[in-house]
Amino acid sequence: MTAFRAPALGILAWLALLGVPLLTGSEYLLDTGIAIATFAVLSTGLNLIYGYTGLLSFAQVAFFGLGGYCAALLVTRLDFSFWLALPAGAVVATLAGLLIGYSSLRLSRHAFAIVSLSFALLCGIVSRDWVSLTRGSMGIPGLSLPGFDDPAQMYRLMVTAAAILLAAFYVLLSSRLGRALRAIKLNEPLAQSQGIDPLRYKLLAIGVSAAASGVMGALFVFHLSIVDPSVFDFYYTETMLIMVILGGAGSFWGVIGASVVFSIVPDLLRFSSDLRLMLYGVVLVAAMLLFPAGFGGLLQQRRLARWSTQR
Amino acid sequence: MSLLTVTGLHKSYAGVQAVRDLSYEISHGSITGLIGPNGSGKSTSIDCISGFQRPDEGRWSLAGRDLTGLPSHALALAGLTRTFQTVRAYGELSLVENLCLAAQEHDGVAWWQALRRTAACRKADAAARARALDLLEQIGLGSYRDAPAQVLSYGQSKLLAIAAAMMARPLLAVLDEPVAGVNPTMIRRIEAIIRTLNQQGVSFLIVEHNVDFIMSLCRQVIVLDAGQKIADGPAAAIRGDPRVLEAYLGVTPAEGSA
Repeated sequence: MTAFRAPALGILAWLALLGVPLLTGSEYLLDTGIAIATFAVLSTGLNLIYGYTGLLSFAQVAFFGLGGYCAALLVTRLDFSFWLALPAGAVVATLAGLLIGYSSLRLSRHAFAIVSLSFALLCGIVSRDWVSLTRGSMGIPGLSLPGFDDPAQMYRLMVTAAAILLAAFYVLLSSRLGRALRAIKLNEPLAQSQGIDPLRYKLLAIGVSAAASGVMGALFVFHLSIVDPSVFDFYYTETMLIMVILGGAGSFWGVIGASVVFSIVPDLLRFSSDLRLMLYGVVLVAAMLLFPAGFGGLLQQRRLARWSTQR
Repeated sequence: MSLLTVTGLHKSYAGVQAVRDLSYEISHGSITGLIGPNGSGKSTSIDCISGFQRPDEGRWSLAGRDLTGLPSHALALAGLTRTFQTVRAYGELSLVENLCLAAQEHDGVAWWQALRRTAACRKADAAARARALDLLEQIGLGSYRDAPAQVLSYGQSKLLAIAAAMMARPLLAVLDEPVAGVNPTMIRRIEAIIRTLNQQGVSFLIVEHNVDFIMSLCRQVIVLDAGQKIADGPAAAIRGDPRVLEAYLGVTPAEGSA
């Protein structure tokens, strides 16, 4: 039943979101919408790797930034069309993901976490120090996307891209391939004994999530009209982790819900610039205490409780 | 021709010989027991042939196909599946999902068929579900089909693991201590289920400490002590074998008769 409802609701939500610029011309609100769209894809990408497959990845921000830098460099240096540079950025991000995945996953899950963190830090350093290519901390300004100069158009483009990518995640996760990813997280030796090749599935998860993050990175830097080393900032990693953990690792809609909430909350707290970060901290601690397994985890607990009382 | 042939298996950990020159054969359609005192190398030897440990030396083949050195998932695809000494299940997933997962790599559905949910994929999923429900009825857990596996008792989990190993229709199922810590009623039930499944064509290699369970179930019994095979033959002959008595009871035949 839910299998039929989810796509229909998703399409309705997408159409409704496309209509938002008709109601408001506020650039601030549209920017918030773009932030939500971006973070929904990034955190669902992390959810795919961490929440479903059980691999802690700090490299999501690197895939995001690589997508952004590649697209920007191809457009500004080699006169690529953005529509070619976008998939090229995604391909580079995917190859980077497969490379760090393949090299570290044959050792252990922990090796992957460490290598992914190092890789993200390395990307930040290279973007700052390879001045002849990236112009260092000055960044690459003046990125523009003909036809999407209007904030409403940019908003619609980002929302549509996010809708397509989230739909792709949904198809993958609700298929038997997604079930195999969960099996690897829940009990890897058991999965192996049943013929599931963990390395292949882990690389699938990393590749798909890197590609989606790269696409959003390319779009996001053209929305900002500049890419600089701050695109690799730990802020993005931290925000993605908050969204996945509080949304409920392994819960598709929980993490998307958390992406909406936690893209808005920091802005709502702007009324007090001194206390803003402290209040944000209070919100996070309270959420952690109330929902230790995330919003999505509540549903799982209910399901378990129902069967435990029956026994 | 024998089903499983193991030749010259060696495995040592930091100088300790866990398995020494182990060779044995088991035949098609049989239930074979592998027994021995603690630390005799039973678990290590089946970890090796199921791809969870890399042996130092040795070869093994299943139904004439050399499987030496393959990773565990490839061994499972070749028809050799196993269960574990510790209870392993996907705790958050329902019993039906647990069983369907155990079948999905074996039905030949490609990834693009899975993503597009082609007719072939839907048909394979329906077949797996039907078999899962059938197996759950056989092991008496039909009423728990949609319950998450973590609500099961220890003995029920052991049954679920055996059922999961059957989903792929293996040539050989290696069961690692299927009745350790299980109550007597449940032991009789597991015994009956293994017999039924054996009649349906699955061969078993069972590692157990419960000698009575092995003796009543197995035609062939292999005994290990200190990493070496000390006896291999029909259950009745093994019972009276002096080397087996010595390994288990610590008495030599000479002392015993004196």
